[in-house]
Amino acid sequence: MVSWSRDCLSGMEAVRKIVETEAQAKRIIEDAKSRAQEILESASAEAQRVRQTALSRAEQEKARILKEAREKAEADARSSDEETNALLANYKKLFENRKEVAVKKAVELILGG
Amino acid sequence: MEKLHNRILSDAKLKAADIIRDAEEKAMRIGDESRVQAQKDADEILSNANLEAESIRRGILSSRIRANRLRVLDEKNKIVQSVLKSVEQRLSDIASTDQFQPALKRFVAEAVDAVGADDTVVRVGFQNAERKSLDSLGRTLPTGTRFVVEDKPIDDLGGVVAGDVGGKMIFNNSFRARIERLDNQLLTTISSTIFGE
Repeated sequence: MVSWSRDCLSGMEAVRKIVETEAQAKRIIEDAKSRAQEILESASAEAQRVRQTALSRAEQEKARILKEAREKAEADARSSDEETNALLANYKKLFENRKEVAVKKAVELILGG
Repeated sequence: MEKLHNRILSDAKLKAADIIRDAEEKAMRIGDESRVQAQKDADEILSNANLEAESIRRGILSSRIRANRLRVLDEKNKIVQSVLKSVEQRLSDIASTDQFQPALKRFVAEAVDAVGADDTVVRVGFQNAERKSLDSLGRTLPTGTRFVVEDKPIDDLGGVVAGDVGGKMIFNNSFRARIERLDNQLLTTISSTIFGE
């Protein structure tokens, strides 16, 4: 009877130990899953941060490119204005110098001499 | 018993390590894919920026160049119109110059010839022209030609108009009519003289 009880107890003890061990194993796996979740969340956050940084840099670069293009175009446009002003000033001079000859030629053409 | 305990824990640890390793590999893939995609998106932003920059540059430049071309054309037109105005002034005063008589004879001859009728009416009218000299020209015309000296310059600037008696055939040889007929040649002559084109 004593022997049965002892056997019975050690059997129960064994079961209890196995249950405890299983619980411990389950905790290990749950901890690992939790850690894995953290790793993935962290990776996602880092990926998002990397993406934002890259896009933000690209947007800044875009703003710089557009600003530079506008400034360059405005400079070229000013240059075109200056060339035109010089051309108009030259026309004015040509007109003053050659007007009389032009009038004379036109009159001769109309008179048909 | 101890073996079983160790075995269970060892299996759990192995499984946990697999889970962590899988997560780390997946995290690595997420990072790599994110970097590649971010670079792709950034490249696209920059590529579009370059296209937009070119469009902005063209927009600013082309509108300014177009405006400047218009300024040049406007100025040239003003100059040509100014020359034409002086030409008209010169023509309206032509009667007081020695170019007048030869030109008048030519105008009358051209007009009479153009009408080609025996009973031509020739009307002349110039500002400040001496009636005497105009009448003397009338006397040189073929018989049957009626010569009329108008009090006012024909078409404002002066000139000659010939027609048959019935008025069916009229040839306008006024200065203004000649200017209109010679329009292209006049513009070319004036432009080439002033601008050298």
